Amino acid sequence: MDLLTWVIILLIILIIAIILLVFWGIYNRIIRAENQIDNSWAQIDVQMKRRADLIPNLMETVKGYMNHERGTMESVTNARAAIMSAKTPQQSNDANNMLTGALKTLFAVAENYPDLKANQNFLQLQDELTHTEDKIAYSRQHYNDSVLRYNNTIETFPGNFFAHRMGRKAREMLQIPEASKEVPKVSF
Amino acid sequence: MAQQPRLVEDHIRKNKRDTVIICMMMVILLFSIIFAIGLLFGAPPILTMMIGLPIALFYIFITYSFSVQSVISAARARPANPQNRDEKLLIYKVEEMSLAAGLPTPKVYVQESKDINAFATGHKPEDSIICATTGAIQQLNTEELEGVIGHEMSHIQNRDILVMTVTVGVVGAIALLAEIAVRMLFFSAVGGGGGKKNQGNIIIIIIAVIFIILAPIFSRLTYLAISRRREYLADANGAYLTRNPEGLAKALEKIKADVPNDPKGSKTVAPLYIANPFKRALRESIWSTHPPIDERIRRLRSM
Repeated sequence: MDLLTWVIILLIILIIAIILLVFWGIYNRIIRAENQIDNSWAQIDVQMKRRADLIPNLMETVKGYMNHERGTMESVTNARAAIMSAKTPQQSNDANNMLTGALKTLFAVAENYPDLKANQNFLQLQDELTHTEDKIAYSRQHYNDSVLRYNNTIETFPGNFFAHRMGRKAREMLQIPEASKEVPKVSF
Repeated sequence: MAQQPRLVEDHIRKNKRDTVIICMMMVILLFSIIFAIGLLFGAPPILTMMIGLPIALFYIFITYSFSVQSVISAARARPANPQNRDEKLLIYKVEEMSLAAGLPTPKVYVQESKDINAFATGHKPEDSIICATTGAIQQLNTEELEGVIGHEMSHIQNRDILVMTVTVGVVGAIALLAEIAVRMLFFSAVGGGGGKKNQGNIIIIIIAVIFIILAPIFSRLTYLAISRRREYLADANGAYLTRNPEGLAKALEKIKADVPNDPKGSKTVAPLYIANPFKRALRESIWSTHPPIDERIRRLRSM
C-alpha cells in the first residue's frame, strides 16, 4: 500500500476516535446532570419529611397555651397528614405549601400568647421550623438550577444531537408559589 | 425575575475567564524567571527547569498542605456552639446555603472579634470551613448574614481556596527564586570571574537582572488582581445562590461603616475574608486585596 492510503486510514481512525471521545464526554455530562436532579429531589424530600416530623412536637408544646385556636391547629395537623399521604411529587409539593401557610398563621397567632412566646421549647421549634422551611426553599431552588443545567445540556448543540438518540427529554421545573418563598416573618 | 439570574451568570462567566487569563500570566511569569536565571548563569534551559521547577512545585505543595490549619489557628477560631442561639442560626444559614449550592455542608467556626467579617477555607468542598466573627453574628440581620454566607459558599464552590493558596505558593516561589538569583549574582560579581563575556551578552544579562528584580513585584500585583477578581466573582455567585443581591449589599454597607479595629489573623490570608480585616480600600488600587466596597455594592445593586 502506498503512503496516501495509510494517511487516509489514519485520518479515519482519528476522526472516529474524536467522535467517540466527544460522545463519551457528552454522555457523561447528561448522566451526571440527571443524577444531580435526582439527588436534589431527594434533598427536598428529606427536608419535607424532617419538617413533618417536627409538627407533633410543636402541637404538643402549643396545645396547653392555644386552646382557643382549634381551627389553626387543625389546619397544621391536616397539612401534615396530607404530606404523609402524598403519592406524587406534585401532591407532596402542594401539601407542603399548605403546611407553610398553616404554620405562618400559627406563628402569627402565637404572637398573642406571651406565655407561649416565652417557652424555650416553642422558640427552639420555631427556629428549627423556619430553618427547615428555608432549607426546602433552597433545595427547590437547587433542583430548578439542576433542571436548568440539564435542559441546557440536552437542548443545545452538540448535546441535543445525542440526547435525542438517548431518548432524553427536557424536565419540568418546580413551580414555586411566590408566597412560599417568603420566610414567615415572626418578630419577638 | 426571569432575566435576573441570566445577568448574574454573565458576571460569573466574565470573572471566571478573567481569572484563567491572570493565572496563565502567573505561570508564564514563573517559567520566565526560571529561564532568566538559567540565562544569567549560562546553564542550559533544560537543566534550570529541572532544578527550578521542583523547588517551585515543592514550595506550592507545602503552602497548600498547611493552609487550612494555619488559617484557622492564625484567626484563633473555634467551632460554633449550637447551644448559643446566634451561633445556631449561623450554622442553620450555612446549611441552607450549602443546599442552595448543592455542596456538602462545611464546618462552622466562630472568631471572637468585634469586627464584621467572615472567611472560608479548606482544600475541597468536602472538608471546607466557613468562619464568621462574633461581630458579624451579632450585628448582621438574617438577610445580611445570608448574603455573607452565600459569598463564602461561592468561594468554596469556585475553588477559590485552592486558587488563592496555589497563587500564594507561586508568588512565594517566584520571590524565593529571585532572592536566590540576586544573591548568587552578587557573589559572582564580587568574585569577578566574567572575563570572557562579550557586549551582546551583557545587554541580555542586564535585561535578565532587571526582570529578576521586577518579577516578584509583578507576581504580587498579579496575585492581588486575582484576589480582587475572585471577590467580584464570589459576590455575583453569592447573589445567585441567595437570589437576593440586596442582602449582601446591605451587609457590605454595614461592613463599610464598621471601621476595623480588632483584626486577628495573618495578613497572608486577608484575601480569604469577605472584606480585608486590616484596612478598607475605598478607592481602586492595584495594591489592595479587595475591590473598593462601594464598587462591590454598586455592582450588586445593578444585578
